[in-house]
Amino acid sequence: MNIVCCIKQVPDTATVIKIDPEEKHIQREGITYIVSPYDEFAVEEALQIKEKLGDTTVTVVTMGPERAKEALRQCFAMGADEGYHLVDDAFDDSDTYATATTLAAAIKKIDFDLIICGKHAVDGDTSQVGAQVAELLDIPQVSMIMKEEINDDKKTAVVNRQLEGGEEVLEVQLPSLWTCQKGLNEPRYPTLKGIMGTKKKPITDFTVSDLGLSPEEVGLLGSKTDVSKMYPPPPRLPGRIVEGEPEEAVKELAKLLREEAKVI
Amino acid sequence: MVDTAFTEEQDMLKRSARNFVENECPPEYVREMWENDEGITQEVWNKMAELGWMGLLVPEEYDGIGMSFQDLAVVFEEMGRVPMPGPFFSSVVLGGETIRLAGTEEQKKAVLPGIAMGETRATLALMECDPLLSPAGIESVKAEPAADGYAINGIKLFVPDAHTADYIICAARTDEGADPAKGISLFLVDSKTSGLSIELLKTMDGGRKQCEVNFENVAVPESALMGQKGEAWPIISKVADIANAALCMEMVGGMEKSLELTVDYAKTRIAFDQPIGSYQAIKHMCADMMLITESAKSVAYYAAWAVSEDTPDAPEAVSMAKAYCSDTYRKATGDCIQIMGGIGFTWEHDAHLYFKRARCNEHLFGDAAFHKDRLVTMKTSA
Repeated sequence: MNIVCCIKQVPDTATVIKIDPEEKHIQREGITYIVSPYDEFAVEEALQIKEKLGDTTVTVVTMGPERAKEALRQCFAMGADEGYHLVDDAFDDSDTYATATTLAAAIKKIDFDLIICGKHAVDGDTSQVGAQVAELLDIPQVSMIMKEEINDDKKTAVVNRQLEGGEEVLEVQLPSLWTCQKGLNEPRYPTLKGIMGTKKKPITDFTVSDLGLSPEEVGLLGSKTDVSKMYPPPPRLPGRIVEGEPEEAVKELAKLLREEAKVI
Repeated sequence: MVDTAFTEEQDMLKRSARNFVENECPPEYVREMWENDEGITQEVWNKMAELGWMGLLVPEEYDGIGMSFQDLAVVFEEMGRVPMPGPFFSSVVLGGETIRLAGTEEQKKAVLPGIAMGETRATLALMECDPLLSPAGIESVKAEPAADGYAINGIKLFVPDAHTADYIICAARTDEGADPAKGISLFLVDSKTSGLSIELLKTMDGGRKQCEVNFENVAVPESALMGQKGEAWPIISKVADIANAALCMEMVGGMEKSLELTVDYAKTRIAFDQPIGSYQAIKHMCADMMLITESAKSVAYYAAWAVSEDTPDAPEAVSMAKAYCSDTYRKATGDCIQIMGGIGFTWEHDAHLYFKRARCNEHLFGDAAFHKDRLVTMKTSA
């Protein structure tokens, strides 16, 4: 079985993000990068399937600048077998559609039975790429999975996906694409042997021409959306204590919440 | 060429170790282990073993991974951020490294694979009444020839994790002579050997257990002798350098975390309508903490590199690092408590965990005064 995991290198969630003066990008200087935590769920699930079924290859695919190879190697350290790096200046400033177009073109070149992604990347928070890749590849997709079981025929699987207040159980054909929700698994810590073996595992680079795409289909040119402005959220205002007897204070609080904060 | 920059693999190891200690050893766990005589749960120990950390320095022919001390140093720095309880330091560094450097082929084959897998624990019984790390201090514990081997008698103090060790490596005097550095031998002793009694001591840092080990006619076979009889001091000295380099990395991690705790608190604690970090007195203390933390990092990283490469100046580098880190870790953790005021002094706050680890580590394998003196001796005799 061949499982493809789409992963993204994102700023460490502990990093303080600053916006550049153009207000269209974040400042890259001094940022530490990690694999998006939801993508680690995807890799972990793929590795668990591999351990259960045997005879399985786990392939990780990412799009990004040269430094994104570190993210592929972090997945190798966990146990992934091989990687594809979609790296070309033409991919810069891709929106979700252009990203999905590029990923789908790459995955078409890889033999796959299952694609697993994080439910979203923790930088853009769009939750769109997984579904778009599935659409472009014309395969079923199940979002926010909490549990999965590949059937013995390896052509279908039973998948639980999270709903508000419950779970939905679906049977889905393979190949299909699943996106992972928190709680699906606990990603493993890379072992020392895994870390030391990362440089021995193969990474194949794909440029725009390798994928058979034109520069107009990818990056900023291939995007359907444009970032017009990026700005940090306003600083949180300090709390206010409503003084007085409880009966009066509650009335005052309700009034403030309705008229000032406009939350009720 | 000096190269203390982390490789990509070391960065990954650092991230993995950071995630592990933060998730598996949160402050509640550390406090729990203070009250637990074992010092660590089997579950956490096994997880560390599965990650391969215990075999990091063990050569591949003994089922280890055979990596460098610089790699282990990365792990120790992260452990210092917790600060990590349990016998990892004693088993991997004191036990494992002494056996690697001094053990016979049979001893290495018998013990190192177990240490690498986390199935066997070992420690080094070195100190006696003399608090200084000197050959003259190995005085009262004596190994004398007996039937088929030796009989060991005497009391060892402050032996890390002896109560949970499977093997205790005992530094004992086998010959008296004019030169105290001569006549010291190492013996690999099964901790279940008759005549051996171990008492867990009440010490300041509950995360680093220390014991009194009483040898009373402990009979060991000739095969328990490690290396050449009477020639163990150079190896003990080398193991102490490795141990101190590891402790310095742990102290650096603890200083980083103490600084973070302090700055976070100074930003959020309001006094007179202002965060206390906006006041000059607190700002200066925080800036000084950062200065000594970064300086400690530099000297500790250099010591780790020197030990890893076994450079001729490694002993000097280690003494510089231990002298500096001992003083500065105590200062940084003390200032952390000062800045926090009342809350920093409470049992519930984590600040004291670091302060107590600082006090413990500064005295293990020679304090700042000892290492400054050692530096003078090395420089003047060169």
